[in-house]
Amino acid sequence: MITTPNFINKVVTGITTWARVNSPWIIHFNSGSCNGCDIEILATLTPYYDIERFGIKLKGSPRHADILVCTGPVTRQARERLLRVYEQMPEPKFVVAVGSCGISGGTFAGCYNVVGHIDEVLPVDAYIPGCPPRPEAIIDGVVKLLNHLKEGTRPQPIRPEIGDHA
Amino acid sequence: METLLAITSIMFFPAGLSLIFSGMLYEWADRKLVARFQNRVGPRWFQPLADTIKLLAKEEIQPLGVNQALFFGLPVVALSGALTAALYVPIFGIQPAYSFPGDLIVTLYLLSLLTMCMGLAGWNSASRFSIVGATRTLTQLFAYEAPFLLALLGPAMAADSWQIGKIVAYTESHWMIVLQPVGFVIALIGLMGKLELPPFDAPEAETEIVAGALTEYSGRGLALFHIGRSVEMVIGVSLVTAFYLGGLGNPLIFLAKSLGLLLVMAFLQSVLVRLRIDQTVGMWWRAGAILALLQILALIVLK
Ligand code: SF4
Repeated sequence: MITTPNFINKVVTGITTWARVNSPWIIHFNSGSCNGCDIEILATLTPYYDIERFGIKLKGSPRHADILVCTGPVTRQARERLLRVYEQMPEPKFVVAVGSCGISGGTFAGCYNVVGHIDEVLPVDAYIPGCPPRPEAIIDGVVKLLNHLKEGTRPQPIRPEIGDHA
Repeated sequence: METLLAITSIMFFPAGLSLIFSGMLYEWADRKLVARFQNRVGPRWFQPLADTIKLLAKEEIQPLGVNQALFFGLPVVALSGALTAALYVPIFGIQPAYSFPGDLIVTLYLLSLLTMCMGLAGWNSASRFSIVGATRTLTQLFAYEAPFLLALLGPAMAADSWQIGKIVAYTESHWMIVLQPVGFVIALIGLMGKLELPPFDAPEAETEIVAGALTEYSGRGLALFHIGRSVEMVIGVSLVTAFYLGGLGNPLIFLAKSLGLLLVMAFLQSVLVRLRIDQTVGMWWRAGAILALLQILALIVLK
């Protein structure tokens, strides 16, 4: 039983999933946000919130990253760049949209220079609402995404309940 | 039998798997200590292991316009260079597996192989960030390599031998940190330059040049370079401990000494800021090299 390919497969999948859940490296991209969300993301990365506890590390190169954290609506100028950053990431990769603008276009919805929300350009795996969301909410969103990864499936979009992070 | 023994020592002990795992432990200790200096909790103990497995399981992208053989070969060469160097070094205070007169020089050159490979990998990646990173990596190599070598030559000259085993036997009765304090400081800081730790992390400054020479590497190649770096850390720390902090002695005491060295390195990492590449080179040649030479001169005169 121990040598059946099925069993080996299961063990290997288990180990890789464990490693993936415990070592998410993120890259941060601003596709046209007002900078409010970005300031909150940077605050999340400071020693005060210490996300290295979860193994999260900020990476400069899309080639090293697993999770693309993007903020803001997608402008016509940023669309190409956002797609390029996404395509440069190696599989498996995930996208987290931070802020109301990333979810729906927010205050920029309908502007002449805006393509729309991030969902219209990339497949988003988790949404973190707020304008801007607090660092705790961002951590919570990423950890919820990781918990879904543990089940081994690409997560269904997670929309946290309103009032969850008051 | 001979070959079997050689294969075992490369695959498992003292090089190979045991070294890779201890490299991960050292990397964790370093990250954890830096985290504690910054007053945060820091990574969990299995963090480097999880990072490595994740990278190994990821897709490996080959950018357009690179030489395929070099792109996939360089990480392997880098790691094997570091692992081979371990055969001549007393890791954890255990006598080295192989030894011959002059193995100190061979070890030091094997250790530089990793940096060379990184530089070549950066050149080969055909991306502007990696080329800038590669240039900085190689420039920095020329800065710290000579003073570091001179600093390790001090104990070698005092022991009248170029064989690591004999030098270590000599330093056991002579604490070199007392006799050659300048050499110790230069060796320690040179080691930090070799490992590209802050303040010498200009080659991979993520705020300016993304990730330096390794920008285009993903998946396995990146993992191998990472492992090579942490293996180099184990070897470097062991070498400096054995040369300057009273030889081999008991493996447990040796481990405690190397941890003390790591503590000092983590402290320096968290209090110093990144130097520009020209400042690094200037500092090494204006202060480091001259001090190391003076130390050697004093050694020759007093001996
Ligand atoms: S959600 Fe709010 S803070 Fe974030 S980009 Fe939009 S307007 Fe700015």
